[in-house]
Amino acid sequence: MINKILKNTESVCPVCLKRIPARKLIEDQNVYLIKECPEHGNFRVLIWQSGIDYNSWEIPKISSIVHNCKTGIEYGCPFDCGICPDHRQEGCCILLEITSNCNLRCPICFANSNLNKNKDPEFSLIESWYRQLFNSGIPYNIQLSGGEPTTRDDLPEIIRLGHEIGFDYIQLNTNGLSLGKEPDYVRKLGDAGLNSVFLQFDGTTDEIYKTIRGAPLLDVKMAAIDNCSDNNIGVVLVPTLVREINLNNIGDIIRLAAKRIPHVRGVHFQPISFFGRYPSKPPMNRITIPEIIKAIEYQTEGRLKTTNFRPAGAENSYCSFHGNFILMQDGTLKPLPSSQRPDCCTQPVIAAEEIIKSRQFVAKQWSVGRACCCKNTGMNRPEIKDAFSDYGMNTESLDDFLDHINSYSLVISGMAFMDAWNMDLDRLRDCKIHVFHPDGRLIPFCAFNLTSESGKSIYRTMY
Amino acid sequence: MSAEFNLQQSKILCVKCGEYLKTGSVTLEYLGNNFPVELYKCPQCGLVFIPENLATGKMQQVEKMLEDK
Repeated sequence: MINKILKNTESVCPVCLKRIPARKLIEDQNVYLIKECPEHGNFRVLIWQSGIDYNSWEIPKISSIVHNCKTGIEYGCPFDCGICPDHRQEGCCILLEITSNCNLRCPICFANSNLNKNKDPEFSLIESWYRQLFNSGIPYNIQLSGGEPTTRDDLPEIIRLGHEIGFDYIQLNTNGLSLGKEPDYVRKLGDAGLNSVFLQFDGTTDEIYKTIRGAPLLDVKMAAIDNCSDNNIGVVLVPTLVREINLNNIGDIIRLAAKRIPHVRGVHFQPISFFGRYPSKPPMNRITIPEIIKAIEYQTEGRLKTTNFRPAGAENSYCSFHGNFILMQDGTLKPLPSSQRPDCCTQPVIAAEEIIKSRQFVAKQWSVGRACCCKNTGMNRPEIKDAFSDYGMNTESLDDFLDHINSYSLVISGMAFMDAWNMDLDRLRDCKIHVFHPDGRLIPFCAFNLTSESGKSIYRTMY
Repeated sequence: MSAEFNLQQSKILCVKCGEYLKTGSVTLEYLGNNFPVELYKCPQCGLVFIPENLATGKMQQVEKMLEDK
């Protein structure tokens, strides 16, 4: 057995949430976060499994100097979020929690939402949130979240308002119940300009939903995909992965997604995190990024390979993975060359440039491509073709490729959130997913949702 | 016809061979993907002329699509 300390970092105590020193220890190619709270003892949790080399996964990066800071450095990470000048990345997607109510009460919920009827934020308040964000001058992508945003009847107006104020890309985070049951409601969302739905989609069997969500929901999820497709709203399937429940369903989820291209634009896996509400004590053997990627290869019979996946440049390398694929005529997925892994010669990326690319990529990829709904019109294609063909040139293969790739690409990605057990504050400083706090601060997602063993929160309690 | 597109066959000469360029089959290749197209090329040495608005238009779009986020 080979033990080696890879790096020193900081974390929090899962019991009292105090900041404590932590170390990353590699042991037989598995990487653990180990830490000790003077008051509450030792903690050790798996953060990276063998099969993909931990060190070579990282993309070297030149950090951003963040603007739009609402807080200074006073208590140190993660207690100064606003974001503070110690943060190293701007936001890509900003979450607006427009309700705390939900129409499900899942055993697993990072927001700890419930069936109560709490008072929703007023429409005018949401307008002020949009304006504060827009006035920062940063072209954020917006995710409307909660709670379950579709419990609001004025959701179409909220979406329309966001576009009117100037946000190009608005995404809805939803369990899909209303979308599956109310086609007219989906039509209104589409008419309002909803670009994409981030659809909670844990698997392809009712058994999975009964365990994770407390009800058989497959039919309503499929109806939600149908209704979004009818209104040209892009759909990203978002499975929460739980060992023993749906880790072995990854291949079927990808196959289902491929059948629903072009309207299903991506699959975004999220291993369960232990914040908010969760059913059992956090296990030490967490699902980590290498396990998901290896499961993808194994469950697609090797058609998709571990080498087709890589980290992103915008966020910390250890937060996410993605692979870009094209649907071929025979129904298979072909990896795009761009999905190849960085190697030892990879030059450092510039975080400030990567975040711009990330916003643009997400907005383009997770919206429905143009060619599938308005072929020959969206790109002024006839004019472009005529201009070249008038001189005897023929560049149709480029047009066909652009049409095809716009519509028939699928991104398979995943994000490993951090909770009080596996929190690495070095990673947190690179976070690009921020939650808009009603007082105007932007809180990195994992800090916003962080809860102690007893359910104590740093940021949600400040509402 | 696009105003910015002002290519005229009779004005394109291959500087090496002195031949007028004519349309012909060309395969563009980028990151392992091939795109068969017809462009102006020198019948003698094969030099291909790519109009600026093709290079900065469709070809650049294809490159971006093949590159990563």
